[in-house]
Amino acid sequence: MDYISVGESVPRKDAWEKASGAARYNSDRIQPGLLHGALVTSTCAHGLIKSIDLGAALTMPGVINIITGADFPVLSGPVLEDHPPLASGKVRYYGEPVAVVIAATEAQAVAAVGAVNIEYEALPIVTSPLDSFKPGAPLIHERVDLYKRMVSDVYPEKDTNIADHIKIRKGDLPKGWAASHTIIEAEYDLPQADHIAMETRNVQAEILPGDEVVIHSSSQTPFSIRKEISSCFGIDLGKITVHVPLVGGGFGGKAAVQLELIAYMASLSVGGRPVKIANTREQDISTSPSQLGLHARIKLGADQSGRFTALEAIFMVDSGAYCDIGSRMAKSMAMNCTGPYRIDNVWCDSYCIYTNHIYATSFRGFGHLEFTFALERSLDKLAAQMQLDPLELRRRNALKAGDSSPTQVALTTSNLGNLEACLDKLKSLINWDQGRYISIDANTVRSKGISCLWKTSNSPTDAFSGAMVIINPDGSINLIVGAVEIGPGMLTTLAQILAEKMKMDINRIHVHMPVDTRVSPHHWKTVGSMTTYMVGKAVLEAAQDAINQLLSLAAMVLKVSPSDLDVARERVYLKDNPDYYMDIADIGHAYKYPDGNSVGGQVIGRGSFVMRHLTPLDPNTGRGRPGPAWTVGAQAVEVEYNRRDHSYKILKAVTVLDAGKVINPKHARGVITGGVSMGLGVATREEIIYDEQGQIGTSSLRTYKVLHCGQQPEYVVDYVETPLLDSPYGARPIGEHGIIGMPAALANSLSLAAGIELDQLPLTPELIWKRLEEEKR
Amino acid sequence: MIPFDFEYYQPASIAEAVQLYNDLQQNGKAPMYYGGGTEIITMARNSSIKTQAVIDIKQIPECQQLETKGQSLIIGAAVTLTAIAEANPFPLLTQAGSRVADHSVQNKITLGGNVCGTIIYHEAVLPLLLADSEVCISGINESRTESIHTVFDQQMRLNNGELVVQFKIPLEYTSLPHWHVKKTKLEKIDYPLITLCALKKDGAIRIALSGACSFPFRGRAMEKALNQPGEDLSKRVAQALQQLPGPLQDTVAGSSNYRRFVLGNLLEDAIDGLEG
Repeated sequence: MDYISVGESVPRKDAWEKASGAARYNSDRIQPGLLHGALVTSTCAHGLIKSIDLGAALTMPGVINIITGADFPVLSGPVLEDHPPLASGKVRYYGEPVAVVIAATEAQAVAAVGAVNIEYEALPIVTSPLDSFKPGAPLIHERVDLYKRMVSDVYPEKDTNIADHIKIRKGDLPKGWAASHTIIEAEYDLPQADHIAMETRNVQAEILPGDEVVIHSSSQTPFSIRKEISSCFGIDLGKITVHVPLVGGGFGGKAAVQLELIAYMASLSVGGRPVKIANTREQDISTSPSQLGLHARIKLGADQSGRFTALEAIFMVDSGAYCDIGSRMAKSMAMNCTGPYRIDNVWCDSYCIYTNHIYATSFRGFGHLEFTFALERSLDKLAAQMQLDPLELRRRNALKAGDSSPTQVALTTSNLGNLEACLDKLKSLINWDQGRYISIDANTVRSKGISCLWKTSNSPTDAFSGAMVIINPDGSINLIVGAVEIGPGMLTTLAQILAEKMKMDINRIHVHMPVDTRVSPHHWKTVGSMTTYMVGKAVLEAAQDAINQLLSLAAMVLKVSPSDLDVARERVYLKDNPDYYMDIADIGHAYKYPDGNSVGGQVIGRGSFVMRHLTPLDPNTGRGRPGPAWTVGAQAVEVEYNRRDHSYKILKAVTVLDAGKVINPKHARGVITGGVSMGLGVATREEIIYDEQGQIGTSSLRTYKVLHCGQQPEYVVDYVETPLLDSPYGARPIGEHGIIGMPAALANSLSLAAGIELDQLPLTPELIWKRLEEEKR
Repeated sequence: MIPFDFEYYQPASIAEAVQLYNDLQQNGKAPMYYGGGTEIITMARNSSIKTQAVIDIKQIPECQQLETKGQSLIIGAAVTLTAIAEANPFPLLTQAGSRVADHSVQNKITLGGNVCGTIIYHEAVLPLLLADSEVCISGINESRTESIHTVFDQQMRLNNGELVVQFKIPLEYTSLPHWHVKKTKLEKIDYPLITLCALKKDGAIRIALSGACSFPFRGRAMEKALNQPGEDLSKRVAQALQQLPGPLQDTVAGSSNYRRFVLGNLLEDAIDGLEG
């Protein structure tokens, strides 16, 4: 019997280290001679830097140097180079790094921060994407059109605060409206939130005497760090090495390159000595990037039978002070703007807009949570107006093979999956037929709300991954990849894929957990739920390469054709007589004949994968293929709501995903419920609150609240399995997806319970009360 | 990380503590009395406070007292909220203390620290205000025992260098009918949107609030409006809401209008509960 690995709840490869506390994270690294950098951050949300007085701080004990933006007139950014790593000339958000004190100890660096005097001349601030969009709004970047574009498809608009504008033009909108029986229009607002990874961002940078740059970072994107440092400072890429050990949660927030650039500059300014910069929680919230905010307008029509006829969507992404990856999230929203529904006539304008907020970077779901909220709330409004069952409305309009996406990609069973089957499962798991509004007593009602979701990735068209499979002298295997273990156990999943392919015991596969850009094969970024798909395919190819080498050597030794042989249980055996075999341990490191002669050598399997057939979107119509395939799903929540004080309790949260193939059931449940939990946090309480001056009122965990242990409802997770044919064992991405529909499902449920439209987040009891009061007037 | 160094003293007597304070202050060390340390540590970490010396009062026997003496319940300033909850000599105080921060922090927070600290909510003072407690205070020259109403006006009003040693609560109040409720924005563990404590003494209801205004208080004028048994409840509450000693807070936890709405509900519940 062969070993079975795929489909089993194999324990995580990092379980023992993490459970025992022995796991080492980046900040645990101790290095002799390490200096400490402390950031001086802006106390002004938008202003000119009139003067910086370093005099007093430079004389403080232990202070070695202080650098400011003027010392390094460079710009960075993965899409638009609009971002000075240290503010130069002006500041654009409260909390922006302005200077770095480098001192012998962390305490000395922090103490000297207080002695740096900076004078600002305040400029008018812009605090919402809607205001920022208006003609005449104060410009946050004076010449956005002149910034260097790092990708071909970004379209900043001169003399505006628009960093990017993505258009979808599909079908014939007037025809769609003409065919509509009911049309609803609504606006939605979502504030920024923060990632709140347990491990705050931290980095160490050093420049060796031979000009080699060494970075140790807590990051999801070691290869992007290398690329950005190279591009920003004109250093040969190969001279930069980035090390990333286990990472204590990323959620997209550690995909941005920020502290790495600053730490590099700090090290350069002290002759290359190693410098560490580690965020406090407060800095992690207010200085390093956050989730985007959104203002959305949706106009949606349906014919008499409830089939969608037309959609007009305007998304204004609050990208904050810099573009970072905000424009790619605006694109992500546009390209999937219909949700998993067939709408033939679509017009979408998605804008990435600057404001004087913290700049935004990728956040779990990559814009999908945000537009899904707007769209799925609109669906419930339409259902109510047409007196249709909301679940039936979704089922009736579910995309199917043969339909096309908003960017006109032809959909197949393989690349889409089966939403109807997800809805059918959801319906029974949430007891939909029992009713979605149930009165318990005079003040208490129970209500249910649902949301569907879909997501594809949005990578560069040439995003690629590599993998290496090295046979050990004992026949076990080392697996080396460029993906970072950020928490969900993806490196264990990759080991399962390899074990299944090699038909061997997974305990004999050793995964190299840290990433070292000089050793590890390249992986685009550990983002977008794409590790299993991209790296998994590279692992399969590397395994096949190793198998081919083993077969050809064994064929020679055994005097048979390689096609007569197969590999399983660490043996190469004759297919027609498995008792005739050789141990891989005897050929993986050369074969030694009885007379001592040897042939072959160490078997090193190499594999790589590059995205297939992706294209940029057409700037006028949005036509193009942005990602390889979708994951669809349906979610529901049940709440108990108090009509008197508007408090509520979430009783149950159900998620059904078309996972293609569940490779590790316990990991899958863990990562999906993690997403659900985060989605409920964003839905109920998470929010960055700014005052009128643009200062942050929620910069610590005293005031910024996340869902805590004991506050979770009952989680139900189930699957449909429609294989994605070109993915390892048919698996679809599932890493982010639990978060996507939760805010919409909760808002749908509470809107029903309270009898009022709730079109913004977070859904606090005060919001419900306020909306009811507004309605009374 | 606390980015500055400071000296740590652990006196064994009140006299030693107040003397130390006096000496350290004269040496320009800006000393602070140290109970559980939760505020000092967190505020020093983000440079909101700075001191060169702390005087830990936890080894002073009077500050650790928790016992009944004659007609008074004595609680030392350095007794933790957890210790008070476990002994439970004054159930209303137990309830108020059990909703300050979380359990592991309650193991550290002391009654004196919660009453005297800089965080504006001081929820543990509410039962003390309702029970007409007394505060024993020691300074370098004299010791005094004062009514809490004299020394707590929005916050503790102490003379320079004075140490709160203990609280004396008249025993008769500890077993009166009472009411406690804490409403936050959403979380269980958070600063109060409104915390309401109530006691019923001689047929009249006493109310104390934290979170409503920018300071905790006993609402004597509100009590007058509320204690009109014949009147319609909603009318009494509406009148009480006119008698707040200051404007309702408008913070990230909630707007002032929302606080008014929540407070109205809480007052109705408290009266309902206590009038039974």
